[in-house]
Amino acid sequence: MPDMPAAPRPRLRLQYFDGRHASAQQAEIWREGRELLLQTGDGRQQRYALRQVQWPERQRHGQRQVLLPDGGVLSCAEAADWDDWARAAGLRESLAVHWAQSWRLTLTAGLLLMGLLILLWWQGLPLAARAITELVPAPLEAQLDERTLQSLDGLLLKPSALPAARRAAITQDFAGLVARARARGEPWPEYQLVFRQASDKLGPNALALPGGSLVLTDALAELLADQPDALAGVLAHELGHVRGRHGLRMTVQAGLASTLGALMLGDFSGVLASAPAVLSSQAYSRALEREADAAALHLLRADGRKPRAMLAFFDRIAQQRQARKAGEPSGWATAIASHPDDAERRRFFGGE
Amino acid sequence: MALFGRTALQDTSLFGLSSQNPARYFRVQFSGSGSEYLRIWIVNLLLTVLTLGLYLPFAKARRLRYFYSNTLIDGQALSFHGKPWTMFRGYVLLMLLMGCYAVAGRFSPLAGGLAFLILGAIWPALWRASLQFRLANTSWRGLRLRFEGGLAGAYLAMAPSYVPVLLMVLAGSLWPEALQEGSKAEFGPGHVLVLLAFALGVLLLPLSLALIKRYQHGHYAMAAQRTRLLAGPREFYLLGFKLLGLLLLYIAAFVGLAAISFSLKSMVLFVLLALGFYLGLALLLAAFFSARLQNLVWNRTRSEELRFDSDLSARALAWLSLKNWLFTLLTLGLYRPFAAVNTARLRLEAMRLRVQGELDGWVAEQSLQQPDAAGEAAGDFFGIDMGL
Repeated sequence: MPDMPAAPRPRLRLQYFDGRHASAQQAEIWREGRELLLQTGDGRQQRYALRQVQWPERQRHGQRQVLLPDGGVLSCAEAADWDDWARAAGLRESLAVHWAQSWRLTLTAGLLLMGLLILLWWQGLPLAARAITELVPAPLEAQLDERTLQSLDGLLLKPSALPAARRAAITQDFAGLVARARARGEPWPEYQLVFRQASDKLGPNALALPGGSLVLTDALAELLADQPDALAGVLAHELGHVRGRHGLRMTVQAGLASTLGALMLGDFSGVLASAPAVLSSQAYSRALEREADAAALHLLRADGRKPRAMLAFFDRIAQQRQARKAGEPSGWATAIASHPDDAERRRFFGGE
Repeated sequence: MALFGRTALQDTSLFGLSSQNPARYFRVQFSGSGSEYLRIWIVNLLLTVLTLGLYLPFAKARRLRYFYSNTLIDGQALSFHGKPWTMFRGYVLLMLLMGCYAVAGRFSPLAGGLAFLILGAIWPALWRASLQFRLANTSWRGLRLRFEGGLAGAYLAMAPSYVPVLLMVLAGSLWPEALQEGSKAEFGPGHVLVLLAFALGVLLLPLSLALIKRYQHGHYAMAAQRTRLLAGPREFYLLGFKLLGLLLLYIAAFVGLAAISFSLKSMVLFVLLALGFYLGLALLLAAFFSARLQNLVWNRTRSEELRFDSDLSARALAWLSLKNWLFTLLTLGLYRPFAAVNTARLRLEAMRLRVQGELDGWVAEQSLQQPDAAGEAAGDFFGIDMGL
């Protein structure tokens, strides 16, 4: 606190409640150095260290209340009188209060907040998700993997009906590709290739689970029966997810985003608050898909295969999709879709 | 505030003009302003984001102080005495607790179940601590409020809410397949138990609410005044039936509309309808319920010399909620402080206090102990608050 000028000390008349009785007393206060002096109507004086007093924030509305350390309360109904006295007595107000006083500073704070949120959204969340993911030990992740596969087996997946020879061929082809990559000194993680028959909802698909299980559905193996390179590419894409620990990162990221959403809108509407989390996780998931695509491209190319083989995969999936539901508009789909759109991915693998 | 001064109404109907102790009515006035709270809110948010959430308890203390100092009864505002650093401690403790809970469930069902049981076991104690903290740090005319509910009472009040949950946990641990969605397991004892737990949960809801409210409103205290709630489960079941009736009516109306939109084969109409359904449910029925609950609970809360009146209109609250929701959506959240202020004004200004006897004679009973702030933080985390 700055020192007081030696001039007459400004005094303020207000109401005093002693914290014991409900009745109000007239009182006067003034400042002496580092102390607040209080004189009640009957002439009794009390001293309080300025630092122990809880001062009111300067506001346009509401009563000015001073909370004394002994439980007493001073209340000043005339806000302007209080503000004049506080200024004359040299009471400093906190930065937060000062900022909330002026629209210009509030606007600055608002813009700063917006910038920070955007920065947090695009950079902070993925970074934090990655950092937190690094902290999760591998055994825990493996356990997560097992549980996910178990629950999927109950709901969406059945044992594979693919001939054993075909499964062995696919396993061998991909194992060879990964082994050669490792031989070149690239750090590819351990994985288990799992064959499953999927319900119609999943269709021709491949999944990467957090601990390194790659699930390949029979439908996809049949769809790409004559395109071993495309099949290897799809598996390489999933292995890319495993290497980046994308499953766990998505989970962590979604948790962080929903915390942020709840902070902004939580006590207002749960649905509104969860919207940013969903949108962000989808956008984030697109970024992860690109990362996985890059891994697939690298593995195929380094193994001497043509990345363009992947185009067959996109073509056939698109055909299937079209056959299933004829001509549904999808203009708004990228905003909430989990994968980048096909045209972009085709270009990435060398299509036009 | 010049609005009040000493203009308290004299109640002559009950006690007569010559009575020694005429009852006086005090309206509750709320003088907060949306634009002012907006500025406090933005600065609070900025600091919270800058400190990665550590400022949250300080922001909360500032918010409470703003709302309290704008809540005037007989021209005297409420004061919030909570120390942000105390609240910070509770907040960190609670974050750790919730963090453990959130993480445990992801990795093993056993750890998740254990964390759930532990949290469930200490939840009533946290709830009570939260009430104690909030009341003990609220004062009017310099007199601290108190919450005098005991620990055993908190557990008893929450007991009926736990029965269905425990049944569900039991079913889940004995017959895990019964809880799995879409599993093709045969209908067995597990399913019976799950259905039973669900039915019990719905049936016990009004009873739980009644016990919880009785515990809360039966243990507020200030000076020598101790409140009690003159309402039993009957009133809460009545409210529940009214709500159920409204809900059925509402669903019937929407099923009719949905049938029409189906016959028109318009997807847009259908989506709009679904959105309308959610909005109606979240706004109209919730507003009806919370307005009626506020009235029910406060109109029957009284102490020797103190009574409360609440005549909150469900229609006004529903209309305000709709407005708040729409504007908040349109302004991408910027309207939220205005919404908070408007809701507080509507809810608070529907209240009146009736004091019989000499207010100036009220004297505090000495007991200024500080319960821990963890409970307070827990209440905020889960949205449990005093409903006023």
